[in-house]
Amino acid sequence: MVGVAVIMLYPFWVVIITSLKSEAQFLGGSGFSWLSWSSLTSVIPVGQEVLSSTIVCSASIFVILLVGLPAGFAFSKLRFRASTVVFLVIVSAMMVPLQAILMPEFVNVTKLGLTGGYFGAIVVYASLGTPFSVFLFTTYFRGVPDELIEAGIVDGLGYLGVMWRLIVPVAVPAIATVTVLQFIQIWDDLLVGLLFIQNTGERPITVGLAVLAAGRTTSIPELMAGSLISALPAMAVYLAFQRYLVKGLTMGIDR
Amino acid sequence: MAEITFDSVTKTFAGNVRAVDELSLHVAEGECMVLVGPSGCGKTTALRMLAGLEDVSSGTISIGGTIVNNVLPKDRDVAMVFQNYALYPHMSVEKNIGFSLKVRGDSKAEIKRKVDEAASILHLEGLLDRRPKALSGGQRQRVAMGRAIVRNPHAFLMDEPLSNLDAKLRVEMRLEIARIQRLLGVATLYVTHDQVEAMTMGDRVAVLRDGKLQQVDTPEELYDRPANEFVAGFMGSPPMNLIRCHARAGADRVELVFGSQSIELPWNYTSSHALPASGLGTVVGVRPEDVTVADASVANTLRTRVERREALGDEILVHLSLDDNDTSSTTGTSSARDDLSRTVSLVAKMGPRMKVNVGDVLFVQASPEHVHFFDATTGQTLRGR
Repeated sequence: MVGVAVIMLYPFWVVIITSLKSEAQFLGGSGFSWLSWSSLTSVIPVGQEVLSSTIVCSASIFVILLVGLPAGFAFSKLRFRASTVVFLVIVSAMMVPLQAILMPEFVNVTKLGLTGGYFGAIVVYASLGTPFSVFLFTTYFRGVPDELIEAGIVDGLGYLGVMWRLIVPVAVPAIATVTVLQFIQIWDDLLVGLLFIQNTGERPITVGLAVLAAGRTTSIPELMAGSLISALPAMAVYLAFQRYLVKGLTMGIDR
Repeated sequence: MAEITFDSVTKTFAGNVRAVDELSLHVAEGECMVLVGPSGCGKTTALRMLAGLEDVSSGTISIGGTIVNNVLPKDRDVAMVFQNYALYPHMSVEKNIGFSLKVRGDSKAEIKRKVDEAASILHLEGLLDRRPKALSGGQRQRVAMGRAIVRNPHAFLMDEPLSNLDAKLRVEMRLEIARIQRLLGVATLYVTHDQVEAMTMGDRVAVLRDGKLQQVDTPEELYDRPANEFVAGFMGSPPMNLIRCHARAGADRVELVFGSQSIELPWNYTSSHALPASGLGTVVGVRPEDVTVADASVANTLRTRVERREALGDEILVHLSLDDNDTSSTTGTSSARDDLSRTVSLVAKMGPRMKVNVGDVLFVQASPEHVHFFDATTGQTLRGR
């Protein structure tokens, strides 16, 4: 256990230590300094990029939840023609790798004129994340007793009311699970941001770091400082929701 | 408050499965009607159709004289108590009870007043801030009741509300629900598979089997005058002894032949029963409490052997087999012959002080006025109704 922890944490330790050195200290091997942190903002617009990543992440997750919650509710609790087939088609989309559909996706989004700002990336991320959320919410809602829904209907609610007022409040673990997993995936993604967000003023932090790494001369301590800034929000989101994560992922298994 | 009427209601599920078959039933205003029957008999489906949670395949359901087949559940003004309570886990007791009023758009003050009133009736005053998970089974049951009564609905629908409680609590809650139902005087359809619950709670009891209504009557009538073999066997614990035999009816007596033993009942059944003059085709029914032990010298007794005894504290259940294996003389249809060739066994309820041991030979008799006769083919009572 300790060995595994060391293997997992050592790279992180290296990133922290390296970010606390100047270029000279990094090459010379001794001493600490805040220089790389202070110079980072002059090399790339870190604040703007973190903000862009946050906007893209939040909007994408909002869309994923907005589509996934009602879809999961419908697939798990409502009876309608061909529901199983439709569900399988949607869920099978999880198996398609991003790289396989990237070019056609890029062509489509470009034709729609959405490749400049956030919107194109949000559409792509939401489309890629929705099948997983539909799958997770469907599995989760299958574990919610039908009587809860029927009690709401007898109490005067419609299906939409039942979903928002009775089901969503008890689905917090599933919502947290989708949020954390999608946040980490979208926040850490480079490819979609690189292709679909072409306005430099709106590029996310991963693209900023790539630019930093691709420069003629790359300052490793600055790159490490940027990487650390990039990693912190994902870690914060994980830590905030991790108590729901396991519950959300295993709900429905022990039904 | 209103009356409930099922008029030839049928529910057919996919695969042409008839869950409810031509059910006609009337629940008067303020009446507690218990639907009872074994698992899968269609009682819950009937309840769900009344609530609007299942469509009706044919026939009509009326509440307060209005046909509600196509009325949405929320517009039927019925309150339902579910088997597992279906309390909203993220809401406090107070919010659970007041939720339907909030959905209906009642004012906050009105909701508070009605919730407090319901809480007072159900002794929930100190629990209003708690979440369902912090309540015991009995408390959850009371909250579910509170959620139903707070609306002052046209009808209460209860779907096995006590089945998740332990035996002691079930008895308490049975009394509690009966008290509240009588206090509020709302027409109630109560579904259970427990015949003790049915007998104790219902003003009338409707017995269902395979979706078909067998009999609707007061608990006493159901017990004393069952319409058929199924009702006779279902109501009562332990159930009525039902034994196939030859019954030969005379002018002032009935001779019952069990293998090589026979008894004569000095009772004029012919005026009240359509007993066959001779031959097979009769099932005789005797409740365990009507089987009494007699002296060997008494005429018209059956010689039996004790196979098993179950001491329940206040009574002993004695399982008896007819001390006779001579069934070779049976005639009639093959199924009747098969039934008659089985070892005849019956259960007798005896007092706790009765000295009975396994293997003892007992001579038993039945009170003639408490013997039931059923047609062996149709299962229907031979008593003129």
